[in-house]
Amino acid sequence: MKASVRDYLRERGISGGRAPSMIAGGASFAYVFGAVLLFLLLMEAVTGAALAAFYAPSSTDAWGSVAYLQDQASLGWLVRGIHFQGASAIVIVTGIHLVQTALYGAYKKPREVVWWLGILLMMLTLAWAMTGFVLRWDQAGYWANKAEIGIAAGMPLIGNAIKKLAIGGNDYGNLTLTRFYMLHVTILPAVVGGVTAGHVMLSRKLGPTPLGDGEQVSRPRWPDQTLRNTIAIAVVFTILLAYVISRHGVDLAAPADPVQAYDARPQWYFRWLFELRELSGSAKQLVAFAVPAIIGGALVALPLVDREPVRDPRRRVLYVGGLAGLLALVCGLTIASFASDAGSDELAKREAKASERAALARKLARENGVPATGAGDVFWTAPMARARALYESRCKSCHDAESKDRKGPIIAAGHGNRAWLKAFIKNPSGDENWGRTRLAKTNACMKPFQQLDPVDLDNLVELIYSESGESDVVEDKRKRGIDVFEHASIDCHSREEGMPGPAAPGLGGVGSRAYYLSFISNPKSALHMGHDKDRSQMPRFDKELTLAERDALAEYLVWLRKATPEDLAALDPY
Amino acid sequence: MGTSDTVGVMADEDRRKFLRAATRAIGGGVGLVVAGPALTLLADPATKMTVTTPTAPLDLGLAEQFRVGAEPRKVDVIAPVVKDAWLASRNVMLGAAWIQRTAPDKIVALSAVCPHLGCAVNWDPSAGNFACSCHDSRFNAAGDKLSGPAERGMDELPLQVVDGRLQLTWIRYKLGQTVREPA
Repeated sequence: MKASVRDYLRERGISGGRAPSMIAGGASFAYVFGAVLLFLLLMEAVTGAALAAFYAPSSTDAWGSVAYLQDQASLGWLVRGIHFQGASAIVIVTGIHLVQTALYGAYKKPREVVWWLGILLMMLTLAWAMTGFVLRWDQAGYWANKAEIGIAAGMPLIGNAIKKLAIGGNDYGNLTLTRFYMLHVTILPAVVGGVTAGHVMLSRKLGPTPLGDGEQVSRPRWPDQTLRNTIAIAVVFTILLAYVISRHGVDLAAPADPVQAYDARPQWYFRWLFELRELSGSAKQLVAFAVPAIIGGALVALPLVDREPVRDPRRRVLYVGGLAGLLALVCGLTIASFASDAGSDELAKREAKASERAALARKLARENGVPATGAGDVFWTAPMARARALYESRCKSCHDAESKDRKGPIIAAGHGNRAWLKAFIKNPSGDENWGRTRLAKTNACMKPFQQLDPVDLDNLVELIYSESGESDVVEDKRKRGIDVFEHASIDCHSREEGMPGPAAPGLGGVGSRAYYLSFISNPKSALHMGHDKDRSQMPRFDKELTLAERDALAEYLVWLRKATPEDLAALDPY
Repeated sequence: MGTSDTVGVMADEDRRKFLRAATRAIGGGVGLVVAGPALTLLADPATKMTVTTPTAPLDLGLAEQFRVGAEPRKVDVIAPVVKDAWLASRNVMLGAAWIQRTAPDKIVALSAVCPHLGCAVNWDPSAGNFACSCHDSRFNAAGDKLSGPAERGMDELPLQVVDGRLQLTWIRYKLGQTVREPA
């Protein structure tokens, strides 16, 4: 028994013997793929180390540190791009390596252990890629990880425990990131490194599986095979580099946001499983982890089932056919998954919105920095962002041109500037002004000033405009405007700060931040629309909104006076 | 023992030499293109101001609160924004300054950072001078050194009065030397 174990180990290169310096049958480009994979792993280690010097695994900082690395550090985009797409390259070359090995029957005795270590490596590298995707803590990585962990959580009995263990607690947060970061940069590199060492050492000792059956010349590994390996490495790296540069590295979505839905998609090499899961209806949870388990089991069992020494693929139709079928299934599902996405206009729209949001977040992070409260708050560093959000939720339905049930005057870019004042004075009950209010249907409403001399109107507008405190007032016109006001407006309005007019709102400081704050706080006050009785449909906001919120809106209205529709459009992050 | 055999061995040796050189050249080239960007990225922070505190003057409030003859008063120096790589922190305390009006039209600000090793310098009302809590360096009201291990007097900070408000420029100086130069 003991002797047979020793024989087994010796025969498979595990104990005794050394790697021969000659290659039986000579060097070949058919043997380069293992070396290319080894290079790619080393490349990931080098680029990964440089990235780790910038990365902060914390839920508030992770996205900001990646955005900084991507958009501000020299060549950060390139190193990150190589690192990210390098994982894709590893998956592709691993696929070729595996198919070639299976086709040649190279997993057969005495190379079973090499094959098993290879299968293990493939699974470990896929898991490794998964732990890397979440680290950026953007919408793409966050939601993809949620889906992947959701699959694991669907496992019977142990699913929930695995989920809690993986994400480090009951929900996504700081401990999720520190945990995945630890796996990504310590455990997995160590384990993959160790298994790779075993895999390479054994395959070196046993040598490549000869391509033909006949007796062949041996050639030295160095430099004959090494040169071929190096050429293959150079070709693969050049393709990778060209791809990364042509795409300017890799994307970064908006910061992770648990309440902002996102169309999560796994990396392309998991898309076949994603599609299979989508197609499986109520069995999708089961399918998502059972199918990979079955495929993995079949690959592990292959050398135990296909035991005949014959290696010619034509004489192993069953196994080669099975492998081809599996490949066709994986490719077909992958294509189907991408095709169904490409066919959806709705998805394209949502994705366009998501990438606009990402671009804005990255621009703001570059210009203003990410707030210490978390990367998601980067949107609040945009000028007027908070006021705009308040406007959207509290003002828009009554005041926006696009609102179906608008009840008050339109508030748009240029509100309260000279052109707006002129148009208002000419036609206060116009649809864009008070036309939709109850006030417009009463006699109390201000009458249009259409017969006013154009020069007088200009001067009057300048006077009222000057009340806002803007610095670009033309003093001569303003002075002449006082005469016009005394003549045309004094019966109803007052220019004295804090004083209502005899029959209409006071215009002292109209258009200033303080005026807007006062109006928003209580439009029904005697100073504003309550000069004789309450004529405003607008509610008071002094109880509903905080002083800071009302002031933010007042500041927004002042800003709006000089804003263009483009400025306004640039504010909307969603 | 044919000559052609020897030529064959020689040619093989030359070929090997060439293959070795080619392998090293290609491998080295790929290695450089991988390591180059990674090292550039690693060196990037060394070429930048990664932590930026405002260089513009900071508002310390109304100038009229300081009167001639009053004792020096400690005022916190707070930066509205400090940028640290990707992070922007608001209202960050940079340090403190001792402020006193020495003449009706002159207000002086002394950094509360001891020029010796950077401890906080406090006003000692009983002695009527400044004292460092760590090594008991003493400075007079004008900030000149009186005693103790400090190499120089307290550091004066640029101060302006704009529209009746104090505007202070915060500077950290190198510690432990007689010459006053920004850190």
